[in-house]
Amino acid sequence: MRFFRQVWVVTVKDLRAELRTKEAINSSLAFALVILLMFSFAFDPGADTTRDIAGGLLWIVFAFAGTLVLNRSFARELPNDCLDGLIAAPVSGAALFLGKAFANFLLVLAVQLVSLPIFGVFYNVPWTKQFPELFLVLVLGTWGLTVVGTVSSALTVNIRLRELMLPMLTYPIMFPALLGAMELTAGLVTGQPIDAEKSGFLKMMVGFDIIYTAVSLVLVETILVG
Amino acid sequence: MRDRLLYIAGGLAIVLIAYNLAQTAAQPREALFYIPLAGTAALAAFTALAASLLFLGSRNFQFDSLAVAVTEAGLAFSAASIVNGCFLLHAATGRWWNWDSRLTAALVCWLLYATYLMLRHAVQDPTERAAFSAVWSIFAFLDIPMVAATIKWWRSVSSLRTDWSGARLWNLVAMILVGILLTVVRMRQEEARRELDSLRRITHAI
Repeated sequence: MRFFRQVWVVTVKDLRAELRTKEAINSSLAFALVILLMFSFAFDPGADTTRDIAGGLLWIVFAFAGTLVLNRSFARELPNDCLDGLIAAPVSGAALFLGKAFANFLLVLAVQLVSLPIFGVFYNVPWTKQFPELFLVLVLGTWGLTVVGTVSSALTVNIRLRELMLPMLTYPIMFPALLGAMELTAGLVTGQPIDAEKSGFLKMMVGFDIIYTAVSLVLVETILVG
Repeated sequence: MRDRLLYIAGGLAIVLIAYNLAQTAAQPREALFYIPLAGTAALAAFTALAASLLFLGSRNFQFDSLAVAVTEAGLAFSAASIVNGCFLLHAATGRWWNWDSRLTAALVCWLLYATYLMLRHAVQDPTERAAFSAVWSIFAFLDIPMVAATIKWWRSVSSLRTDWSGARLWNLVAMILVGILLTVVRMRQEEARRELDSLRRITHAI
């Protein structure tokens, strides 16, 4: 029980810090909008073929905008040596990691839920038709992104080229979850339900999330404390 | 003594490969290599995982050197395997990249381990570097089966044959010998570099 209370405290602390400064979420949202707009220049937004690849484009937007949030996750703690304070606090590394991951998850999900209607308007896709399934895919994909991204954020916090290294580390590992999310979203935003052929991707995303959450919880102490 | 063993391993590999090439004149000879190369790369991934786990368990820096050495050797082997596969498919279809499921999966795995090396180069502190890269090696290894499965569902077409004939098995032995040779050489380099680093630090302290 104490563990979950600690997780909760870290999550609330991170969210409060972010909502007061709004440094990550604002840039992430603006960035998502800009890319959505740029994609409509690159592909004819009215054509049916563009609608077929729109789900994939959407996840590229989410992944790029997500790393902007994730980059700040641990970097935010660097001024005033807050990171050392957090590590020295009587909180296990796993609780600290999980708290930060939850906060990132909520922030990235918020960015997605704002950009999704805009995407629907721009590309004229019936994304509300299968919304419960689409939301499930969003949650699974975002959790995978935040778990791997939070670990990468902890790994790269003291590196000079931090902003560059985080996406370079995160995207290749994210590959199975990202490919699954793209395949599923491509169908769902155009109103088709998940068929038996594609349900394997859904299972893969669940497996990805469970495996990487478990391994991160075990290994995060090594990353933070050494 | 260790040097002599290495020479023998290298010589043996050359003899094996030459013998295999001479034996099978009929089929396209490149087809004898991509599977043994990929097999050696897979073995390197296993060894890197074992070395990383052993490092995290024991904090013995020799395991860290082994992990980086075997990862670099594995990257070289999988790159060679991918290029070999590309040449084979180019001969068959006229295109250099066909989104063949096996080659695509191999390419993603190659990228995974390339990030391992990038992370290593980026981290300055030696203890941190070893711990971080060990963690990342475990992450990368866990991803391999998932990458293979998702790519298979995404695009199941693979025109590369994966049967193990006698010549391919012997080539695998030869490639593993070459892999061990590369790994040992690279590991020595890494050990020497660490020793240099520590000497440099001592002189700074004085």
